[in-house]
Amino acid sequence: MTMVTRRVDLRSDTVTKPTETMRAAMVNAEVDDDVLGFDPTAASLEKKMAKIMGKEAALFVPSGTMANLICVLVHCQIRGSEVILGDYSHIHIYENGGISTLGGVHPRTVKNNEDGTMDIDRIEESIRDPSFEICYPTTRLICLENSHAHSGGRCLSAEYTDKVGELAKKYGLKLHIDGARIFNASVALGVSVHRLVQAADSVTACLSKGLGAPAGTVIAGSKDFINKAKILRKTLGGGMRQIGVLCAAAIVAVEENVEKLEGDHKKAKILAVFHSLSAGINNIKGLKVDLDSVETNIVFFDILKESGTNGDELMKKLEAHGVLAMPEGPCKIRLALHHQISEHDVQYTISCIQKIVTGLPDKNGVN
Amino acid sequence: MRAAMANAEVDDDVLGFDPTAACLEKKMAKIMGKEAALYVPSGTMANLICVLIHCQIRGSEVILGDYSHIHIYENGGISTLGGVHPRTVKNNEDGTMDIDRIEESIRDPSFEICYPTTRLICLENSHAHSGGRCLSAEYTDKVGELAKKYGLKLHIDGARIFNASVALGVPVHRLVQAADSVTACLSKGLGAPAGTIIAGSKDFIYKAKILRKTLGGGMRQIGVLCAAAIVAVEENVEKLVRDHKKAKALAAGINNIKGLKVGLDSVETNIVFFDVLKESGTTGDELMKKLEVHGVLAMPEGPCKIRLVLHHQISEHDVQYTISCIQKIVTGLPDKNGVH
Repeated sequence: MTMVTRRVDLRSDTVTKPTETMRAAMVNAEVDDDVLGFDPTAASLEKKMAKIMGKEAALFVPSGTMANLICVLVHCQIRGSEVILGDYSHIHIYENGGISTLGGVHPRTVKNNEDGTMDIDRIEESIRDPSFEICYPTTRLICLENSHAHSGGRCLSAEYTDKVGELAKKYGLKLHIDGARIFNASVALGVSVHRLVQAADSVTACLSKGLGAPAGTVIAGSKDFINKAKILRKTLGGGMRQIGVLCAAAIVAVEENVEKLEGDHKKAKILAVFHSLSAGINNIKGLKVDLDSVETNIVFFDILKESGTNGDELMKKLEAHGVLAMPEGPCKIRLALHHQISEHDVQYTISCIQKIVTGLPDKNGVN
Repeated sequence: MRAAMANAEVDDDVLGFDPTAACLEKKMAKIMGKEAALYVPSGTMANLICVLIHCQIRGSEVILGDYSHIHIYENGGISTLGGVHPRTVKNNEDGTMDIDRIEESIRDPSFEICYPTTRLICLENSHAHSGGRCLSAEYTDKVGELAKKYGLKLHIDGARIFNASVALGVPVHRLVQAADSVTACLSKGLGAPAGTIIAGSKDFIYKAKILRKTLGGGMRQIGVLCAAAIVAVEENVEKLVRDHKKAKALAAGINNIKGLKVGLDSVETNIVFFDVLKESGTTGDELMKKLEVHGVLAMPEGPCKIRLVLHHQISEHDVQYTISCIQKIVTGLPDKNGVH
């Protein structure tokens, strides 16, 4: 195993480690039993986040998975419910099917477009006609994801979100937004978070991703919704005691790191495209980045046949150089930027990829 | 603990593994005498995971105490979320269930056309509802043998297993030897901010990790909390003996107050229940309110029963103060003419 002195972890923005101010905040956090009563630091975070998200109340939960699970299950608390969501939404692909296996909720997927949206017409078509209830489940909820991870961190506009919200209202449905990276979308679009999620009955926002807190996600919604969410959180096993320790770090994350997201987006674009100092990934022969799709902190690139390599090989060689990435199928790789990746790391990554791809052996096996 | 949290080495425990979490899990697996362990956010999630894994086949039934924590205080999650059916057996005053009654409750497979399939027996040690009472290693082993005889698994809700271990003078791994899975809370008497450990076979823990993620318990740089938990395990187990002493002192003091009654034999660990009798002239509710005015907070357990829980951040002086307050409130109650 080669010793690498440098490590550039681009697997995800969840790898962010707590900063010095976060660690200090954790040491000094005022805490109490958040189950028997309430933890004051958790309450402070929840109040702050509710305001940012423009909702009545908020709740800290251990993970984005639990946040989405709670929201879907609370909106769909009546047995026989169906939820409409993207065929490549995080809830549908990466959350163990929990809404069904644990919650008994039936999913109805609609094709995610390249830009992360679903066609409004297609959503409308998927809403169950109640007159067939003898054999149909009952549609109760529509879920959006902003930014949409699988399409490369693409942003849904406030206008699009509002349109989906109107559709939901027309049919008496609720709207949930998986806002794991809502702050990235907000910064990229130049639209405040509360405006972006105005149409939603519930929203989630991860603290542990680009914002850099050690763990946790916040759910926001009406007071009534959050009351129910709190009970379901306990039922799922997310009722934690002196949680102020983690919430203190989360408060720092929200206060200090939102402004750094813009820097992450710039780094993503540098990684993807041509830069004055050196060429980006798209400039490397045999690799392709859909430049329009790089809106926030995520970069997907395809490994074409002409590169002479595949995803697996490239990932292994990158690892030997200390660069970690996330595979996305046999010929696709994902890179996620965050505030603990420097511009220098970005240049290093581009150089490594370039070296690996262009330095590949010719027909005679010569490197 | 705060210092440990600030200095904790952390990493993404979902994408890879957090080194401090791994360290805690290794340590706990050893203490509990199992192959592997897993840190989860709460005791509720720990029990939920264990029941659901042992009962992963639809149509399962679990035998547990009618006053077990899983059955009474966990939102019925094993059923509402996991589709597992509970079959309760009466909890005796000492926290056990009669072995005969457990055996009677095991479903006869020949009636499977209308019976669910029993897959699991759950014990709770120490048993909270009976006052923190301890199940002996011998009793636990007997239940384990019964489980084996019928091809069932045995799970121990060991939220307060360290209290039981200290009270009985039996190491944790011996106490839970017969169990396929065990839980142990770090956030209770051991004093960590949050979390519980599950321990079991490597295979079991592997499945537990996935279910933990599904439930939403997959947390990222969790070493922050695990660092505190490591301190808890290293420093606070020995303090439990004193919690038990304080409990006995509190119990004796309260039992001496006319109108109040404590089952002194039932005070084995850190929990004290006392009955508020008619002759006291007050009720549980009233007594709790008046105690609160004196700064003493307690937990109601029905209209005429109160629970007090000792821990390392309660001093002996606090115990004496509590006894005095209760005494003052109960003996200082108005006579027929309403005079204090």
